[in-house]
Amino acid sequence: MLTPEQAVVGAIFLCLGGAVLTAAVASSRRLAGWAAFLVTALSGALVLAAVARVFAGGASEEPAQFLQMPALGFALRLHVDGLSAVFLVLSVLVAVPAALYGIRYMDHYSGYGVGRYYPYFLVFLAAMYGLLTTTDMMWFFFIFWQMMTMPGYALIRYEHRIRQNVRAANKYLLMMQIACVATMVGAELLALTGAAATGAGGLKYDFESVRSNLPAMLQTRPTASAIAFGLFLIGFGIKMGMWPFGQFWLPDAHPAAPSPVSAMLSGVMIKTGAYGLMRYFLWLPSPAVRAEFPMASWGALVVALGTITLFTGTMQALRQEQSKRLLAFHSIGQIGYIMLGAGACMVLLAKGGSIGATLAAVGLCGALFHVLNHGLFKALLFLNAGSLLWATGTQDLNRMGGLVRLMPLTAATACIASFSIAGVPLFNGFASKWHIYVACITGSSAVKYLAVCGLIAILTSALTLASFMKFFGASFLSRSSKLVKERFASRGRLEVGGLMQVPQVFLAAACVLLGIWPALGVVLIGTALRQSHQGWGEALAAGTTASGGAWWGVTLDNGAAVFAPAGVALVLVGGLLVALWVSRAGGASRRIAEPWLCGYAREGEHNRYRAHGYYGEIKRLFRWVGGGWRGSMVEESAVASRGNGRKSG
Amino acid sequence: MSWFWAIIGCICNAALVLVLAPLFEGILRKVTARVQSRKGPPLLQPYYDLFKLLGKEDIESGEAPWAQRFAAWLSMGVVLAAVCFVPMGFNAPLGGAGDALVLIYLLMLGGLCTLMAGLAAGSTYSLLGMSREMMLMITLEPLFAVAMIVGAVHANSLRLDAVLGGAVYEGRFGVSGLLMLVVSAASFQALVQRVPFDIPEAETEIMEGPLSEYSGPKLALFKWARMAKLVVYAALFVALFVPWGSGLPFPLGWVLFWCKVLVLVLLVTLVAATHARYRVDQAVRYFGGMLVIAVFALILATYGY
Repeated sequence: MLTPEQAVVGAIFLCLGGAVLTAAVASSRRLAGWAAFLVTALSGALVLAAVARVFAGGASEEPAQFLQMPALGFALRLHVDGLSAVFLVLSVLVAVPAALYGIRYMDHYSGYGVGRYYPYFLVFLAAMYGLLTTTDMMWFFFIFWQMMTMPGYALIRYEHRIRQNVRAANKYLLMMQIACVATMVGAELLALTGAAATGAGGLKYDFESVRSNLPAMLQTRPTASAIAFGLFLIGFGIKMGMWPFGQFWLPDAHPAAPSPVSAMLSGVMIKTGAYGLMRYFLWLPSPAVRAEFPMASWGALVVALGTITLFTGTMQALRQEQSKRLLAFHSIGQIGYIMLGAGACMVLLAKGGSIGATLAAVGLCGALFHVLNHGLFKALLFLNAGSLLWATGTQDLNRMGGLVRLMPLTAATACIASFSIAGVPLFNGFASKWHIYVACITGSSAVKYLAVCGLIAILTSALTLASFMKFFGASFLSRSSKLVKERFASRGRLEVGGLMQVPQVFLAAACVLLGIWPALGVVLIGTALRQSHQGWGEALAAGTTASGGAWWGVTLDNGAAVFAPAGVALVLVGGLLVALWVSRAGGASRRIAEPWLCGYAREGEHNRYRAHGYYGEIKRLFRWVGGGWRGSMVEESAVASRGNGRKSG
Repeated sequence: MSWFWAIIGCICNAALVLVLAPLFEGILRKVTARVQSRKGPPLLQPYYDLFKLLGKEDIESGEAPWAQRFAAWLSMGVVLAAVCFVPMGFNAPLGGAGDALVLIYLLMLGGLCTLMAGLAAGSTYSLLGMSREMMLMITLEPLFAVAMIVGAVHANSLRLDAVLGGAVYEGRFGVSGLLMLVVSAASFQALVQRVPFDIPEAETEIMEGPLSEYSGPKLALFKWARMAKLVVYAALFVALFVPWGSGLPFPLGWVLFWCKVLVLVLLVTLVAATHARYRVDQAVRYFGGMLVIAVFALILATYGY
């Protein structure tokens, strides 16, 4: 029986071996695709086995050591604890559908070989497994980080003949290297002084030794440690797309990559930043250093940055008219929610008390749950955008419309994903946002400013809804555009094939399942927290009493907040049945007719309501938030559509 | 037994709202006509309208008829679901299955149906109306949320029976509650989609906006849901801000509650009958200003005022 750590190392090497294999068979697109999918699925199975052992209580107490270089002072040590397990589950849940989706999707890049796709995809995945489990804060962190950054760079500039993709990839590379340096300098600051304080050599960059040195370090050199933590925040902030860093690279990088990779970038890769943030700010310090470590200030900073991130990201997303660019901005926005949850957890922990600990656990639970949910629905949305691109050949929402008739299954999954991200009750996004709101609003009795942050989050969720009504409406509903009609006439069938449908349906089903049964996710995260004993993990695990209430729902343990989706679903279905009965009761007949445009106008391409026209007033009012694109990003037709002047709504 | 009473309560609330909503609409139309020196339709006219619409031909002009039908059913379904979380003379029947956040989002789902309806119909006018509706929702939903959150902050609980029992006025002076009362009253017309904030429908301008392509039973459902919304929001407003007297024994407290709702509907009518419609940019700016006041009230509430 493999230990969790051995299973993860096995998965890493499997992926690396798979990379060599797919590089060897890259001349056959189909073969390489299936090989990559099989390797991803096998490695995913290994990782899931490891995670299952951890959840069953079999987490190892100590990191497992695989490769030691005493002369250089570092070793490959992996540790799969509960926190890693949650993120590992997410990477598998996203990577496997993305790999399956890629098999057929990559066909439409006829001018580019897949030898520069599948190997990088697998190395990228291996790096993610490694980064989420390594305990070495310096060299193996560096190795895994580069293993993630370099293939990511190659994947983003996959269509390298388009200049803006190369530029996006360069920007990504630059930002990731800055983040890498920032994080490593931070680790060095903590490790150097730590080693000096205890005189211990050997594995001075190991997470464990840094953690045991931290109390001494905080006492002797508070400034250096504050700088170190600041650098961690910047490094991981760049990675996860935190304001103001995210806006530099993320909205350019995600649309440039092929869609399955965008799903991986947004679903999993930027989450490694959230993982780092939680790991370094909640698992590195412990209750023992409560007096020395300014948890409240760091938490306040994370809350503030998270609130700004979620608002600016979403507001800028509202102005986008390119499908994947819109989704990329929303990644920034949703990362803001995760930061808000994690930050609320930090400030409430610092405040202490029994209610503080409980609500802190609720906040962290919401953040982790949102990590999971955002991974699922955002990966799905990027696959949907990929299907749109595959069917219409464009990312421009202005040129799409009326696709629901031609792509019903993609439309249904996109609808589920849009509702999920917008926080409609009974979909998974609501369940995790609910936790974050509860932590913020009821936590405001202890920390005043949380209520306002929670309110901004609620406002932002209305903005998210607006943006996704536009995304979904402009592409699938409204009227067929000229482009769609032409494509349909020339291709006969626009809906994607079965191999591309299965991943979308799987992810959509996961969104719905977690939406009507949030207790599943909450119990999973509670179990995970009980399996991560370092730092604040133990205290947070003790606080996670908000779990499985009646009707599959979640209840805060003092009963101050309750959400039972089954009850809500029941009355909703009841209401729907009444409505259905009422609408049938009159025995009205149905007829299809032309739309009525006052009798003097006819529908045509020139008076079709395009994505550009939505929400003019709000966009004008919040122009100062930014997010307008520069000319180079616009496809030729969007220029034409913008020339039509503004259309206020 | 609590299950039993919850189910009975849900059915009572839903039936009451469905039956009373057209009556309130009838009163509203009659009073509007009188204010404007007209005779006005009979009191029961909305019932006749609905019954007639239910039997009329259902013309579908969108490219996604299924989405159109679903939007119509859902708009009524959501209102009936939301009704179960609103106290109407008694505690909210389903207070054990959802808290204030669930209610806020359920009501948002109600707005979402109109958006879906407009998008699915897809004509230029419906999309124009849908876009306006969404802009108003963006600014209005947080306003309504603040009113609930102020109550939640005072009660330190998000449970409906805690929030919707006059909790907004608790605290040292109750200033935040009074501020929210003013803000909510000033934006109530928009919450129930009446003049001067019926910008998304704007019959004289964009012909019912999102609903312009609907007819027959679907239009009946949308109209009925809109009438019911007036009752639901009025009941919520009363529960949040005018809780006095709700502790009276059964028939008295219940009758008093519905009298308060009726008075509120009359107020809405008077405002609607005497004002002209705002433009959407004016409305968005107006509610933006309201939102600033609301945030200020929320900050006061967190400090216990």
